[in-house]
Amino acid sequence: MALPLPTFVSRRRPDWDALQALLTRQRSGRLHLEELRTLDTLYRRAAADLARAQTFYPGTDAHRFLNQLCGQAYGAIYQPPRERWASTRDFFRRDFPATLRREARFVGVSAGLLVLGLILGALVVLLEPRGAELLVPEGVRRYVAQGRMWTDDVLSVAPPNAVASGIATNNLTVTLFAFASGILLGVGPIFTMVNNGVLIGAVGALCFREGMAVGFLDFIAAHGPVELSIIAISGGAGLMVGQALIDPGELPRAQALQARGREAVKLVVGCAPFLAGIGVVEGFISPGSFFPTWTKVGLGLSLGALFWFYLLRSGRTDAGVTRVEVPEDSASSRLR
Amino acid sequence: MTPSAPAPHVDVATPERVSLSLPVAGIGYRCLAWLVDASLLFFFWVALYFVITLLVSDVLGAFQALSGLVQTLLAVGLFATQWLYWTLAEVFFHGQTPGKRVLRIRVVREDGSPVGFFESAVRNLCRAVDFLPVLYATGCITMLLDRRHRRLGDLLAGTVLIREEAIDLDKYTQAPAVPSESERESAGVQRPLGAEDVELVLAFLSRAPGLEKDVRQRLGARLVDRVGAGLADEERAKVLQSPEATEAFLRTRARAAH
Repeated sequence: MALPLPTFVSRRRPDWDALQALLTRQRSGRLHLEELRTLDTLYRRAAADLARAQTFYPGTDAHRFLNQLCGQAYGAIYQPPRERWASTRDFFRRDFPATLRREARFVGVSAGLLVLGLILGALVVLLEPRGAELLVPEGVRRYVAQGRMWTDDVLSVAPPNAVASGIATNNLTVTLFAFASGILLGVGPIFTMVNNGVLIGAVGALCFREGMAVGFLDFIAAHGPVELSIIAISGGAGLMVGQALIDPGELPRAQALQARGREAVKLVVGCAPFLAGIGVVEGFISPGSFFPTWTKVGLGLSLGALFWFYLLRSGRTDAGVTRVEVPEDSASSRLR
Repeated sequence: MTPSAPAPHVDVATPERVSLSLPVAGIGYRCLAWLVDASLLFFFWVALYFVITLLVSDVLGAFQALSGLVQTLLAVGLFATQWLYWTLAEVFFHGQTPGKRVLRIRVVREDGSPVGFFESAVRNLCRAVDFLPVLYATGCITMLLDRRHRRLGDLLAGTVLIREEAIDLDKYTQAPAVPSESERESAGVQRPLGAEDVELVLAFLSRAPGLEKDVRQRLGARLVDRVGAGLADEERAKVLQSPEATEAFLRTRARAAH
């Protein structure tokens, strides 16, 4: 026979209050081993009380209270291992490059779209001179018409250097948006990649037509290879998300989305420090004529080569470990 | 006592073979929490602006005088504050930004466990898409369509926002106002109440002081009729004399099995 509700509550409440106090202290991270054991015991008792409340007192405040209490304790006890700083190193040494190699085809497709955009943009401007009016931003066109690079003024005091920081933020926005818009059935990354390809291609072709090809190369050479790689990678991450939505395979769509989203965001997070580094190159080295063009080209190519060498080789030495880990990893994410 | 419309919730099966159901935070809670966070960020920038104006007289001129690199870093920093603020707060404060803390809502994974760095990173990167075209229009539409009020970022990250209620257990354990001997007798001889009736009586008792006088009397009378079926007519009249007597009877009745 069930106890009357008030009796039940007043009899069991000390345990619940103790559990709640322990949970508060657990959140702030000050808990001794002994208390941890008590937490476990108290949680099991509260779970038993919850089972009782579900049977005898459903829909009462006591039931809701126990539900919430057990929810909090469950979260505290059964939490997955937290990502700590030590695992950051592991992430960059093994996890990020390995994920990239595993998902290389998405990055390939995304890079292909970027190149397609480049060719389209360049062709339009080269074949139809007025196409530039459509595709190239007006500020850039004005500079090119005067026979100057719009980036010449970056290190001077003149107002147009807002253009330069506009370009830099634009790269950041493009990188993030290419990934995040993948949730729009993958249409977002496709649009972003082609769109940016067209823009760069059109500007390049315009400079070429106006006889400023060297100036354009001068500006883009130092940071271009790495930056375009990063944009292609994050576009690939966006495509992964889109693909999970369109073809979730054997999983329910929501689960496939989560499993793939977790993989995809690794690519974006992994790229972040490189994006910051290349931003410094873009701000310091690319604009102006302080460094000769051949230095910039050399630097750009070697940075690009280093970046891809890292991506393709890092963590290969313990490839055996990775190969064992991969199925386990996907299996556990399926279970979750 | 089933609620009129089942509130959306997340079901979690625990190894203790008890299923938890966590109440999900709806669009209203989420908008309010966002407003709190957004105004925090806004005031941070306003304060920063004033500090800088104290140090530098011509802010716009000084900004234009900065080199492209510094401007770029500023722009990147501005973005990072926006994104880092949400992500770091969620990772280090157990799924709660300051705004969420005020509203008592929390980001958790769909199995009820705390969010990790990658989940939080995903859902906050997707803010950019959820914000489209203006003011979280995409996110709001998704929240309205989704059964658990998740926006696109939550769908991708596999997270959900749960609500934590402040539940007062004191009403169960409060000592009853000392009942008279006859009341104790009349209440004691009757069968103990079911959980549903106890809940009803206690809810009435905790609200009674705020009710209007005649409403208080009327509801009290109806409850007495419901839980005190075995009362003789004269006892019933005595109990219904004043609101205080009615409530004292009800309080004793709710704790009858003591």
